[in-house]
Amino acid sequence: MSIETQFEQRLSSKPSKSRGLHGRRTRETIQAYLFLAPALIVLFVFGILPVGYALYMSLHRWRIQRGDFIGLNNYIDLVGSPLNLALIVVGIGLLIGSYYVWRGAAEQTSGWKTGLRIAFAVMLMIGGLTLVLGVDGMINAAEETRRTEDFMLSILRTVFYSIGTMPLQIALSFLLANLLFQGIEGKSFFRMLFFLPYITPTVATAAVWNTVFEPRRGLINTILTWTGIAEANLPNWIFEPAGITTLLAQWFNVNLPDWVVSSPVFSGPSLAMVAVCIYNVWVFTGYNTVIYLAGLGAIPAELYDAAKIDGAGRWSILRHITIPLVSPTTYFLSMMGIIGTFKAINHIYIMTQMVGLGGPQDTTTTAAIFVFKQFREGNRWGVSTAAAFLLLGIILLLTWIQNRVAEGKVHYA
Amino acid sequence: MPETTASKRSFRIHPVRILMYTLLVLGALVCIFPFIWMFLTSFKTYGEHSTRVFWPRALTIAPYTDLPESYELELELSPTSTDAWGGAPSSQLPLMEGQFELCQVAAPVQDQMDRSGVELPVTVLILIADTNSEVDGYDTFYYTVESRVIQQGTTRALLGQRWKAPYYLSAPDMQRWGPQLIVTDNDPEHFTLRVTWQPVTMFLFNYLDGWTESDFGKYMWNSVRLTVIQVVGVVLFSTMASYALARMNFPGRNVVFTLFLATLMLPEVVTLIPNFYIVIQLNRFFENTFGIQNAWLNNWTALTIPFMASTFSIFLLRQFFAQIPNELYDAALIDGCGHTRFLVQIVIPLSKAPLMSVVIFNGIWSWNSFLWPLIVTTRDTWRPITVGLSKFIEEAGSRIHLMMAGAAIAIIPILILYFFTQKQFTEGITTTGLKG
Repeated sequence: MSIETQFEQRLSSKPSKSRGLHGRRTRETIQAYLFLAPALIVLFVFGILPVGYALYMSLHRWRIQRGDFIGLNNYIDLVGSPLNLALIVVGIGLLIGSYYVWRGAAEQTSGWKTGLRIAFAVMLMIGGLTLVLGVDGMINAAEETRRTEDFMLSILRTVFYSIGTMPLQIALSFLLANLLFQGIEGKSFFRMLFFLPYITPTVATAAVWNTVFEPRRGLINTILTWTGIAEANLPNWIFEPAGITTLLAQWFNVNLPDWVVSSPVFSGPSLAMVAVCIYNVWVFTGYNTVIYLAGLGAIPAELYDAAKIDGAGRWSILRHITIPLVSPTTYFLSMMGIIGTFKAINHIYIMTQMVGLGGPQDTTTTAAIFVFKQFREGNRWGVSTAAAFLLLGIILLLTWIQNRVAEGKVHYA
Repeated sequence: MPETTASKRSFRIHPVRILMYTLLVLGALVCIFPFIWMFLTSFKTYGEHSTRVFWPRALTIAPYTDLPESYELELELSPTSTDAWGGAPSSQLPLMEGQFELCQVAAPVQDQMDRSGVELPVTVLILIADTNSEVDGYDTFYYTVESRVIQQGTTRALLGQRWKAPYYLSAPDMQRWGPQLIVTDNDPEHFTLRVTWQPVTMFLFNYLDGWTESDFGKYMWNSVRLTVIQVVGVVLFSTMASYALARMNFPGRNVVFTLFLATLMLPEVVTLIPNFYIVIQLNRFFENTFGIQNAWLNNWTALTIPFMASTFSIFLLRQFFAQIPNELYDAALIDGCGHTRFLVQIVIPLSKAPLMSVVIFNGIWSWNSFLWPLIVTTRDTWRPITVGLSKFIEEAGSRIHLMMAGAAIAIIPILILYFFTQKQFTEGITTTGLKG
């Protein structure tokens, strides 16, 4: 039999089978699901089932073993009274409303109308934030139940954590990436060094930073002593529960009114939280730089050439070409940065190992740490999963808001 | 454009360029100074760290030059005097004692002695007690200098093993430099000691100390095993899954794809607790039906299998597989080759680069994973290095030099891997994988 006839037979044999095309499709479907089976089983057992199970757990009183069905009580315990919850929902509504007003302001042509709208948007935003953070409600509720205050405060701390890390990370990495992009000698060497903090084990690097922040013999305080910036009152870093507003006021010998010192919002994140933020910035700046570099590389060179021909300076190139064209990267990184702060556990666990998880005085207990503490130390699995669900809700909401904000602002090249 | 290339080639020293390099070097320094601090501290002694010495003595040449010669020494033992401890309090009563003159010490000890005004030779007193009367010979020995410094050990158990030198004079970190005493013969008739100075011990003291204090060898081996198992699982599962998603037509493909997509957003905290519960239930189920003890808890199964459906890897590979031209598959089909053979013989050899990315990324994530192993391991059998290190950090407490040696032990394998695969790494993350 010649090759040609074999070939022809093969070609003709398949469609001429009794099952025909339909049979082949069934076979392919079966084969595809066989291929997918291992991954799908794992995904189902450890990815999808747990979410449903977490929901089930969160509706029960569950301390290691399942207890009574208590409906939404865990959630109510966490958020405070239903009134508190309602206030928060209204607050979020106001925030979303302020965004739309703000966006409307940009479309207005006349000056005073824009001003008015911006003012209105800012008012709505402040109102929304006040309600969401529940400044008053939180303090009052603190007297009613201890747990309530803890969770709402942990969200507030997470917000501090996000504000303390994300903008700085983005700004620094944007700067570094732009520097690296200028045809620098040894670019890949620098890139390799910048990336180092991200790939080394968090447990180990957090332990190293712990000793860097150590108040008595740590590197930072040693440098502070050597340079003479601070000699007598060395900062306690991870051991310091006081808020930075209070500490700065002490530094400059300013007397703060009581309501600032006692307010969880205005006294700011604790110095311990600042230390955690510094660690976070250290880890992710290099990572962000590498991603930014890829983003910068994707900008077509013709744009720069054209701008140069038109006589654009360095600054206007940066302002009108680079920043708008890397905005998808910026968007991606800021989203990852914020969501990352809502997920962060490992380094806070290690960094606060000496002062107790989430310490000192719970000031580094972010939302994720709160969930973990309820689970590990409190053994309140029901409460813990409920808090985790609220956290998931917040993350999804943030993603949604960021998606909306990004619409029209992000330029996809 | 000839002009632009020409201007790029000519390296003029421009103030802006100098500023740029300064900023970059500064950034690089900030990135690596914790590592430098870690390595320096890991070579320090306790005293050096507490007195804020920047450069450890162990990283200079001085301690290793002019080391005294090692020698063997037979001690004349005699019944102990009434004041065997030379005034030092102890609950143990030694049976025999012997002494020898130490005429030479290593340079750091010499310095310490100069500072405290002690002169050579120093009389070293060896006190020997019998902790178990049934056994012939002597079981415990103490090592004292100037009645102040005492180290104790069991001669029998440690026969031939290396001894840490005693707490010499006052500083506790003098252990490191002093002579190592090895009991080569513990027969009461001819009790023999070997007095040695070992540069390797002096140099790597903290590492050896940490390694023996915590079971780092076992943790390291566990981490290696877990990483290999997980990476193999991920590569196998995600290659198959992504091939099906990219190149096969079947009903429900979009649904499956969306399912995978949905789990990308899911934070670990949400699934942590129910997953722990599921693992407990699975463990119980395996024990009751198959009679396998600890099938899931404290075992590799719980530590690796939940991460084998790596959504990131599936996306990465699917993207690549989809780009393979259809003509290749059609040609293979005509040659009578099915999906399985096409995948094994054509697709996999073609996608070495993305597979390499999958291997590297999953390897690093597996090595660095902490929270989940912390929860599901209660015993050392499969405990990875990250969890072992966190326990060690807790125990090391204020002994920061030891803590840093432990951290270095956990970091070094990653550093080595990174320096060899660095290019694939940064390129992998920029071109394919973006994950926070």
